[in-house]
Amino acid sequence: MSEDASAGVGRFANFYGPQGRLVLVDSALEAVNRGSTTIGIKTPEFALISSHIKPTRTLIDPSEKIFAIDSHVGATGSGYIGDILQLIDELRVEAQRHRLTFENSIDVNSLAKHLGTFLHRYTIYAVRPQAASVIIAGIDQKGVQLYQVDPSGTFFGGSGFAIGQSSEVALTEIQREYSADMSVEQALKLSNKAIEKALGERPVVETGIVTIKEKEFRKIPQ
Amino acid sequence: MTTIVGIKTKEGVVLGSDKRASKGFFIGSKITQKIAKIDETLAIAIAGQLSDAEYLIKVAKAERKLMELRRGFPLDVKESTRLIANLAYSGLRNYQPYYVELLVAGVDQDGGHVFVADMSGAITNEDFAASGSGSPIAYGVLESVYNKDITNEKAKEIVSKAVAAAMERDPGSGNGIDVLAIPNLLVKEVSR
Repeated sequence: MSEDASAGVGRFANFYGPQGRLVLVDSALEAVNRGSTTIGIKTPEFALISSHIKPTRTLIDPSEKIFAIDSHVGATGSGYIGDILQLIDELRVEAQRHRLTFENSIDVNSLAKHLGTFLHRYTIYAVRPQAASVIIAGIDQKGVQLYQVDPSGTFFGGSGFAIGQSSEVALTEIQREYSADMSVEQALKLSNKAIEKALGERPVVETGIVTIKEKEFRKIPQ
Repeated sequence: MTTIVGIKTKEGVVLGSDKRASKGFFIGSKITQKIAKIDETLAIAIAGQLSDAEYLIKVAKAERKLMELRRGFPLDVKESTRLIANLAYSGLRNYQPYYVELLVAGVDQDGGHVFVADMSGAITNEDFAASGSGSPIAYGVLESVYNKDITNEKAKEIVSKAVAAAMERDPGSGNGIDVLAIPNLLVKEVSR
């Protein structure tokens, strides 16, 4: 008990702020909002994820931002890269666990739900919530899928997402130009444009795509 | 003991069984149900220890329902069979095997499927299969008359014939025949 007190935490952790908000989760979301601008666009034909790669020193390789989860799913994230990597691995393990149990590929909704559950656990104990939002793109029995999962454990499906730095600007741009019958090239252009608008400069991005024709997730070479 | 038979048809699947439950040289029951319907698209025929089979079926039923609620669409036939086989395999590895050989048969988006799942945890995908002490006799009938373009109606006849033949010569099988046909309502035409 006294150890807790000396650590400055007190007997009980203060989860809720005066407005009834979860302070730690809000802080995690705040951290995500400082992360690299990251986008997801979905049409019935394909889903595309794209993330800004922050420039590093010339001798340092930039870190990977688009991750293959399984052959049919890919993901990207915004926030602390260490946290993102942890969540990516959680997704990969869950995808393989499903294959072991059912001898079949996992559906994207189940993946998003699993990650939501995983993140939610960090909101009910006195621990640091993961400072990362993740966008998952994939294909399953129900077609092309796109999900966003937040540090609170919330997850939602949709056709256009933007997270990270100036994501509001990026999302507005996507909303303005999105159409369900757009081509892959148009979507690529749109995502680049949205990130450029958000950052005010021509960015280096990494992009991944899954299409209903190929049924496989792959990175798009720059 | 027992004879169970499963056939994949172009319209779905058909399962057949006898009704005898043996207790050594004694007929324990003459009205045993050896075909368990999991739902409208899946059924499992049982050979071996009834209690073990009932347990596996109970778990499979629950897991299937749970999975459908969670992800919004049901497990297909292979997924269901693998689920059961995983239980069987962990039983085997823990020196407490489930004494069963199951015919898992049903329909999904890809048409009809008949799988055999045994106590080792292995599964095989078959056009037709038989299990139990009467299976060598049933196989004799199946091998001679089965073809891929069979209808459910025709398959019902063959299944009855196969089980009937086994009941004639296998003392572990007898006391009548059960037949269950699962029509494929999910896909209009099964492509080959």
